Amino acid sequence: MKKLLSTSAALCFGLALAGSANAYDSTGCGLGSMAWRGQSGIAPQVLAVTTNGTFGNQTFGITFGTSGCDQNGRVSGGTQKMLLSFLENNLDQFAMDAASGNGETLSTVAGIMNMDEKEVASKAYQNFAYLFDSENVDAVDVTLKFYQILKA
Amino acid sequence: MRRFVLIFCFFLCGFKNADDLAFSKGWLALVHYQPAMFGGYTATIGSDDFYLSPVGQRDPKAELAATIELFEAEGQEQKKCLFPARFLFLKKHGLLTKDFPKCEEYEQLKKDLAPSGVTLLFTDAYMNNSSSLFGHTLFRIDTSRKGTQLLAHGINYGAYTRGFEDTPFYAIYGLLGFFKGGLTIKPYYDIINTYNNIENRDIWEYHLDLTDEELDFFVAHIWEIGHTATPYYFLSRNCSYMLAEILDAIKPDLNLASEFKVYTIPLDTVKIVDKSKLVKNTTYRPSRLNKIKHRLKQMNKAQYKAFLQLTKGKKTLLENLEENQKSDVLETAYQYTQYRYVKKDLDLKTYRNKSFMLLSERNKIKAGQTFDELKEGQNPVFSHNSAAIALGAGFENGHAFQEFVLRPAYHSLTDNPKGYLKGAAINFLQTHIRHIDYHDKYVLQDLKVLELASLSPIDRVFAAPSYRLDIDLLRTADLKTKKRGHIFNSEFNMGGTYALSDNFWIYGLAGLEGAYGGFLKNNFSVGTSGILGTLLSFDKFGFEAQIKQTLATDKSATVFEQKAVASYHLSQNINIEAQFKRQAKGSATLNEWRAFIKYFY
Repeated sequence: MKKLLSTSAALCFGLALAGSANAYDSTGCGLGSMAWRGQSGIAPQVLAVTTNGTFGNQTFGITFGTSGCDQNGRVSGGTQKMLLSFLENNLDQFAMDAASGNGETLSTVAGIMNMDEKEVASKAYQNFAYLFDSENVDAVDVTLKFYQILKA
Repeated sequence: MRRFVLIFCFFLCGFKNADDLAFSKGWLALVHYQPAMFGGYTATIGSDDFYLSPVGQRDPKAELAATIELFEAEGQEQKKCLFPARFLFLKKHGLLTKDFPKCEEYEQLKKDLAPSGVTLLFTDAYMNNSSSLFGHTLFRIDTSRKGTQLLAHGINYGAYTRGFEDTPFYAIYGLLGFFKGGLTIKPYYDIINTYNNIENRDIWEYHLDLTDEELDFFVAHIWEIGHTATPYYFLSRNCSYMLAEILDAIKPDLNLASEFKVYTIPLDTVKIVDKSKLVKNTTYRPSRLNKIKHRLKQMNKAQYKAFLQLTKGKKTLLENLEENQKSDVLETAYQYTQYRYVKKDLDLKTYRNKSFMLLSERNKIKAGQTFDELKEGQNPVFSHNSAAIALGAGFENGHAFQEFVLRPAYHSLTDNPKGYLKGAAINFLQTHIRHIDYHDKYVLQDLKVLELASLSPIDRVFAAPSYRLDIDLLRTADLKTKKRGHIFNSEFNMGGTYALSDNFWIYGLAGLEGAYGGFLKNNFSVGTSGILGTLLSFDKFGFEAQIKQTLATDKSATVFEQKAVASYHLSQNINIEAQFKRQAKGSATLNEWRAFIKYFY
């Protein structure tokens, strides 16, 4: 019996390392992840979006690990806000999809904009050099330009 | 009207009245009651707010009465808005006359989610984080939004551990349930970024077969649970366990939570859900690392060379390629650049610079991708079960023994690799009890408290270190004096692995070890060791052999060891194993043969 007891105590420890699979992932988005985001961005007044001031100028490579959701952690809001949130957080993948004219992020943009997928894809491909005109592009800029292209 | 509904329900639902309904599976699961140890019920949810009756935590009947009372009363809209699933349940059983109030926040949630289904997600083991060794499970509420499921939402049950991650309290608090667990919600693209792209873990999507009514009920119940906090136990009441209770609330006949007795391993949750026939189909989202590897395999020599050159920032070899061979190379190089940036091998400036160059080149090419994408992995549902027992017999220097092995979790390098992370071993508390014939004694031969191994082949593109960690309480022998005794031994070795082919690996490791125990001359020993080994891993057959030299402060611990394990996988859950071990110190040797039959349950 003694052995059994000591075993079960150790078992707890063993799985303590294991069972907490998601512990680090527990803060959700919103306030928890805001700390990681650039706060110095220009307000994209042209788009007149409100994202509770949680976004900055997301450029290439800062998009990892941030949460492009509202403070409740959800995909929310109107077309423009949703498009900005989405591109802000998936800019690196979107860049590749736009460069090749093919990919999941383009289908998603088509969904958000309620447009034909092929049309969105071909517009992204043809305007890639305009959308990504330097290695320091920022997500607000890309969103703005792409929104105008899609609406044109 | 109410009477009519009640009579109607008497025939249809089989519940005479509210009293019977209070002890029905549906109500018990919805309010998260589990049978208490000494009869009666006890509630899983830790928030007082979740119970409307003062005795609601242990009295399903009082709670049901209190819930009816709430919904039949005037006002109290805010409180009513917290329990949409209870409302649906009681309304369905004809116990409520009033309508559900208008709840703006709840309506907004449903609008944002735009639910179209529920998917159970399983993410692979992550060897770089001790808390993710066993993988992870979470829900996805699929979206009916046009486009893709990137705009769906992940629903994660986790512990609020902020500020404690790197402290010694982390494990202790987790064990004793001091952390609170709760649901968090995130867009699915965020989940993909975390698991697929940052941690390089595959995601399995198990699409659940729910009716529209059940889907509504699921969302309503998620809302209810979303407002609660519950003590989180790393071992038992963890991420996976709560998912099972939530599914039980939606489909009470499943009884999933009752399958977990002592501990809950995410992979087991997936299997139990699969067994319950709740999964209508399964899809697979490979990690970025696996996507890159799959593309590299499809490259011809010229493409591979151009790829290697591109990763160094040059493109002369790319220009020599046929037009339709270029885009795959550029896209793979871009993915690889992302992979390296996340690994912190590249700084931000270099990363942007390379990305911009690669994508601008890619955009110039009209021809699309010709490589196929990685569509299939090995579904974890078909992996061997996580606990194992083994029975065996053998000889040690000619003396016969029998051995019983118990392993609560999880996977060895020579076990059936199907559905497990390749080259990774995780074992907890593997206990070997041995009966030795010639003096008819039972001994604890080995208690492997923890065994971790991560072998990852190094090539020109990927270079992750390999390591082994062993913590044992083991019965050891002094080869010179023939004495035996128990020591507590820890070893950590690190090095590299090279793949001769997909299934044939060799590795070299070196490291340190420390031992403690009265058996040793000064009660302790420290030493250093070097290991050379090989691992063969096939669908039906696994083989590992290694030689190891140890130099230690205690003379008895300085030995040369040869070891081999061969395992034949008779079926998903049965192995036959043969093991050989030889230890040598000068002319003194110890030879041990063992054969086992191992059953995973």
